[in-house]
Amino acid sequence: MIDIVLENWSPIVFIVVLLLNVLVAYWLYSMGNPEYKKTKYSGDPFISGNRSPKDVKKLHVAGDNLFWGFKKALKRYYDPLIDGHTGRLNDYMIWVVITLAVVLIYLYLVV
Amino acid sequence: MTLDIIIENSPTFILAIPLLFAFLTAVLGWVSEKIGEILFGIGLALTVFFVGVMSFEVLTAESWFYVFGAESPSPENITSFFRITFIADGFAVLATITISITAVAAGIYSYSFMKDESGLNKFYTLFLLTLAGVNGMVLTGDLFNLFVWFEVTSVASCALIAFKNYRGRSVEAALKYMVLSTVGGLVVLFSIGLLYGQHGVLNYALLREGIAGSFTFLDKLALGLLAVVFAMKASSVPMHMWAPDAYGEAPGSVTPFIAVTSLGSLFVLFRLFFGVFSVGLDVAILGSLLIVLGALSMIVGVSMALVQSDLKRLIAYLSVSQVGYMMTAIGVGLATLRSGEGFGDLAMQGGLFHMLNDGVYKALLFLSAVAVIHTTDIRSLNDLGGLAHKMPYTTFFFLFGALSIAGIPPTSGFSSKLLIYKSVYLYSPILAIIALVVSIITFAIVAKAFFNAFLGPDQSLMKRRISKPMLWGMGILTVVLIVFTLFPNVVVAEIVDPAVEGLIGSLEGVLP
Amino acid sequence: MSWDTVFMIMPYLTVVILLSIGLYAVLFKKNLIKIIMGIAIMQNGTNLFLVSLAYRDGYYAPIFTGAESTEMVMPTPHALTLTSIVIGLATTALLLSFTMMIKKHYNSINTEDMRRCKE
Repeated sequence: MIDIVLENWSPIVFIVVLLLNVLVAYWLYSMGNPEYKKTKYSGDPFISGNRSPKDVKKLHVAGDNLFWGFKKALKRYYDPLIDGHTGRLNDYMIWVVITLAVVLIYLYLVV
Repeated sequence: MTLDIIIENSPTFILAIPLLFAFLTAVLGWVSEKIGEILFGIGLALTVFFVGVMSFEVLTAESWFYVFGAESPSPENITSFFRITFIADGFAVLATITISITAVAAGIYSYSFMKDESGLNKFYTLFLLTLAGVNGMVLTGDLFNLFVWFEVTSVASCALIAFKNYRGRSVEAALKYMVLSTVGGLVVLFSIGLLYGQHGVLNYALLREGIAGSFTFLDKLALGLLAVVFAMKASSVPMHMWAPDAYGEAPGSVTPFIAVTSLGSLFVLFRLFFGVFSVGLDVAILGSLLIVLGALSMIVGVSMALVQSDLKRLIAYLSVSQVGYMMTAIGVGLATLRSGEGFGDLAMQGGLFHMLNDGVYKALLFLSAVAVIHTTDIRSLNDLGGLAHKMPYTTFFFLFGALSIAGIPPTSGFSSKLLIYKSVYLYSPILAIIALVVSIITFAIVAKAFFNAFLGPDQSLMKRRISKPMLWGMGILTVVLIVFTLFPNVVVAEIVDPAVEGLIGSLEGVLP
Repeated sequence: MSWDTVFMIMPYLTVVILLSIGLYAVLFKKNLIKIIMGIAIMQNGTNLFLVSLAYRDGYYAPIFTGAESTEMVMPTPHALTLTSIVIGLATTALLLSFTMMIKKHYNSINTEDMRRCKE
């Protein structure tokens, strides 16, 4: 049965096509303007027209800030979920007992 | 003649050698550290050699039952199973190969990672004991032997997690895992007592015959208890909360090894469901149990990983989510076991290939994250940045592991996930949609981790250089993963197909 | 219900009571020492269950060589119980040493205080 699914999938062909695309991209890149001179501010990130800060640490987006929108939009789902992970040893055991109860009730009711 | 003896007795050697070298290391390593290191290396190498011998014999010749204490280790007709038996078939071979690859990489990595700790001979002892315990759990064919190796694994791995006992958080994580494992072990012993009282036998093959004859109220109770405890050890939701603590606070080089012990519990759970219990209960119900737990694990694991800022806990939650993939795929395979539809076999191939891949790329991710933490002494993603300028090799290893865990073509993670998507879709489209969405969110999470840790301007955070054995450990895993990436057809046909056959048919028709 | 039936189910009733007490201590008590005591009580309950599985009324213990009859109780659960007692010893020792180290680091053995690994 493996042949039906993986017959058309060959990673070697994929990698060869990927390399061909990279070569095409490099050829397009080499057709660029050869007389480009770097000015004083070129290469800096665009922060709505402000100057980039001198301290390098402020340029990089911190870990917690990267998906804040996702977390805020799903606030009603995330608040109970994060509160459920309390870190207390008793709660870990209570979850095991709850799962045990649900699985046993399911096994006895259904069959 | 000697070669035949070695090949026939290889399951014993896989267990005896780590135990022997564990105690030798504890005693002789106390005298001198160098002797402890050399003995540890020899023990690990010999164990992997015997795993290779057993795999070669099973994959080229035939699988066999290894009986302890009979007049010959694999007797011709097994008339009575009153001795402890080991099942050496394709499934056990897949499990021991996964465990051995991770153990070798972790062992080489810890050669230089643990250099400035004291009491290293005890570290090597605990490592070898855990290796023996996990190999015993996946090889055994007897219920009480399973309990013994279960307890050996939990005690040794908890002591290994708490190895750096000058940090309060390591001891706290180890205590939480230990309490859960001990209560779990008691519940396993209770259900073994129930099964023994009902049928009077402890062997998997004889128990299968007994359950096929009569499946009562007490058998159902024992099945439920065993299933939940092994799912708890395998860190499936909602009993997964020990996993981020334990993986995050263990000493860096053994974190993938602790992750592999939970993979071992998953192997045991599948062996019990397919081999022993699938004849008594309707397989659709057993399969639906696994599928529900798996789907929950996928969703909750990946949601919690999205909001983490600690690098190791992020990868730990991703590992919880990947366990969900395996449980769903094998659950679909179990639910369609005897209905004759073709996609059941496909789902099992996908699930088992995913387990093989997961052991390797999870180890790669953990080891490169630990390399980052080791060189910069920073654990939080809020403060890291710009490490790709100074650590090019680690960047490449992390990127490769990240692409594999997210299932991006052409990596081997994509091949196994393709099998899972196709077969699970034929069973129920909702599961395939959940799997795809979780895969995309996984990619977002590893992209976040990669961006925060490695990209960006150089902030000169490195305090010490990375050392050679750490790069060698990660390099071995990368070579294995490249082989899996380029030739998935060969890997599935040679290693995963015998595992599927072993899982389904190994205990059928054994008794005359 | 005759006295014979009561005597026959008394060990199993004791097992249920012991397991319930132990499980209550693990689930709802905040002091670490009480949790470990609850685990020890559960271990005792499970061992009692295994031993009482083996009993047959009126049979002899399987340790005599010159017994009056060859009807003996089943010896396999006795072997399982011995193994389980030894394993219980090892796990209790490890748990207690972890508790000692936690007291040294956190200065309290309350599970409300050992929550530094949250979320």
